[in-house]
Amino acid sequence: MDGIERDKGGNLPLAGCRVIERSRTIASAYAGRLLSVMGAEVVMLEPAAGSPLRSAPPLLRSGESALFAYLAAGKRSLVCDPATESGRAVLDQALADAQVLIDDTPVEQRGASGLAPDDIAARFPALVHVSVLPFGASGPKSGWTGEEINLIHASGEGFLLPNGFSQELFPDRPPLKIYGHFAGYQGGAAAALAALSALWAAPESGGQYVDVSVQDAMLLVGAFALQRLGDGSLEHRATRRFRYGGVFKTKDAFIELLTLEQRQWDGLVKLLGDPDWAKEEALQDSLERSRRGDEINTHIRTWMAEHAADDVVRMAQELGVPVGKYYTPEDVVNGAHENARGLFEHIAMADGREAKVLKAPFQFAETPLRLTGGAPALGEMSQGAAP
Amino acid sequence: MSSPKAPLAGVRIADFTIHAAGPFGTHVLSQLGAECIKIESKTRPDAFRKPHAVYGRMTAATFDQVSANKLSVRLNLKKPEAIDIAKRLVSISDVASESFRPGVLKRLGLSFEELRKAKPDIVMLSLSSCGQYGPDSHFAGYAPLFGAWGGLGAMSGYTDGPPVEMRHVMDHAAGMHAALAVVAALHQRRRTGKAQHIDLAAREISSAMIGDALVQASLGETPERPGNGDLIMAPHGVYETAQEDRWLTLAVRTDAQWIALTRVLGHEEAASDPRFVSVNARAAHRAELDALLGEWLKPCDADIMAAKLQQAGVSAHVSWNMQDVADDAHLRARGSVVEVSATNIPNRPVVGAPARFSKTQDVGIRRLTPELGQDEDYVFGELLGMSSAQRADLETREVIL
Repeated sequence: MDGIERDKGGNLPLAGCRVIERSRTIASAYAGRLLSVMGAEVVMLEPAAGSPLRSAPPLLRSGESALFAYLAAGKRSLVCDPATESGRAVLDQALADAQVLIDDTPVEQRGASGLAPDDIAARFPALVHVSVLPFGASGPKSGWTGEEINLIHASGEGFLLPNGFSQELFPDRPPLKIYGHFAGYQGGAAAALAALSALWAAPESGGQYVDVSVQDAMLLVGAFALQRLGDGSLEHRATRRFRYGGVFKTKDAFIELLTLEQRQWDGLVKLLGDPDWAKEEALQDSLERSRRGDEINTHIRTWMAEHAADDVVRMAQELGVPVGKYYTPEDVVNGAHENARGLFEHIAMADGREAKVLKAPFQFAETPLRLTGGAPALGEMSQGAAP
Repeated sequence: MSSPKAPLAGVRIADFTIHAAGPFGTHVLSQLGAECIKIESKTRPDAFRKPHAVYGRMTAATFDQVSANKLSVRLNLKKPEAIDIAKRLVSISDVASESFRPGVLKRLGLSFEELRKAKPDIVMLSLSSCGQYGPDSHFAGYAPLFGAWGGLGAMSGYTDGPPVEMRHVMDHAAGMHAALAVVAALHQRRRTGKAQHIDLAAREISSAMIGDALVQASLGETPERPGNGDLIMAPHGVYETAQEDRWLTLAVRTDAQWIALTRVLGHEEAASDPRFVSVNARAAHRAELDALLGEWLKPCDADIMAAKLQQAGVSAHVSWNMQDVADDAHLRARGSVVEVSATNIPNRPVVGAPARFSKTQDVGIRRLTPELGQDEDYVFGELLGMSSAQRADLETREVIL
């Protein structure tokens, strides 16, 4: 091992909890990652050739996966192919001291690996067994396969993107996914939440099987569009936009501007230097402003093009106008705010370079979370592996 | 032991949140069985009790997903007596959640330290745009700003276009993570008996969605914005079909899937084309593949093609609008979309349970949006033991408002 202290005990939220993770997909890996950083000991069961996520893009120049470096940080690795007899013994031994199993094996392959829910429940009645699959493990489409781009569109959000400036510029292009694995991450958060909820009930209910679907999780966070349908509006990316405000190009960078309240509008007018067009009586009414959003945006665009992003942000903040710069990843890793909040852990990559890895998407003030190490070497826990 | 109920039955939340991310998080917990008491007032109602012209909603919502399952009580937090009652409510709760601008709760006398005095093992969730500390912690924002600050907005977009504005899914992703953090803190409390204060900054959820790109950037490497493309899978994208605005999403990960795709589309000759024979070859010729797929799929019926490709093991799905989602037999069978109705609410589809549990099955929507103050008999009367006369007096003095 790399000498990093891997004692996950202590006082962290999930100290003492042991999780077995099988992950081909982002959702399962992210679920394990969230539990791990909150103090659970998370053991990835990997095939002998290693998890496919070890080579998932984006890759660093060294060839190492940046995605895996992020998602596997702090976990442990055990080689296990449960389709073989010796692998089954490793699986059983691992599950014997675990509270949670997170598994994304496709339904039709589970039986051959001893991972069918009834089988697991019979052998490990106290275990919380969480299945996380693109379309879930039950229902007419449980056998369907889905990558991120399919799943974000199967939940309705993909169809609604982009909206605002991108859509205005390129109205004829196909809808656009969110970067990376947004739906997969929601599936992972839902799986981790479901795991801990089932575990919460375990003193009374014992172990149980939980069926999580990435499509469901993405739909849940997109629930507002279904609510709009119930209200009688079928949303579309061309019309789901703020009537004015949105993405603007300044002299040197893109910014986001959004004024939902009257005082914010008043601040915006000041920011723009009290121009004559904004003095028109009719524009004091927010409904009229919504109707004439395009016209207002044209004025704002002209003004923005002549100012530098940092100046706009500073002035806007002073005037109480919600404005933010579209930060690049480089801005975020170097951000004063992010670093004051200790968002990153310095972690050595396989080639020795030190990267900043985001610790967790939330903080526990009483017991700060930390990453106890980077991605583990393949099979570092396996029998015969170097200690 | 085997009685089917909800996993979080018995957990009580005093919920001070009234807009977007916070109410979504507590809604998810309520779907899992937590009892969530919404603390509002006539002057500080939930966002859905108000019209929202910018979204084109000119009246209050009749049904509001994130308020479903919740109980509502009124407290005018500008009055010291209301603060005392709020603390009593916290003292009989397991969780307190809030999403005021950082600093406001302290001014009101409801800071973590104060609430901890009322309830020594309270789990408190503070959800804000930029967190409880740090140089930007006073910044106010909405979902598009979280997306901008956290980096997700800049990484999303057409490769040659501007950044993309994140919408409600950004707020709700923050709420989903908040729900997870709360249950983790409950486990910690069960083990240690100690209080916890969760500080969730919505912009950091946006950063968590680009954790891979942050690793690259920290090493001085420049992350690529792939748009609808993938860095290894090809073909990969969203393609036009015969019907207008009916797009087919497609992703090919393996050689087997590629061969199956060419067979389904009747272009077997492409399977042996040397430009496309391996994962790496296809990735290197992604632009040509994209053009070919565009041509091949254009005359196809998207829905029939998606089913055929899935049958052949290829990841394909139609780009669904919300009507498709509402009508889907799979989502209905899973209880992910359910139908609700009430006297003033005609049948409508809403999002149901976040997961299916084999034992604690009683998850999902149990009741709809509460009227303002609808549950005061139970909460103020039964739980806090306040008499009708006391409550009437508090109402006269606008403590209950």
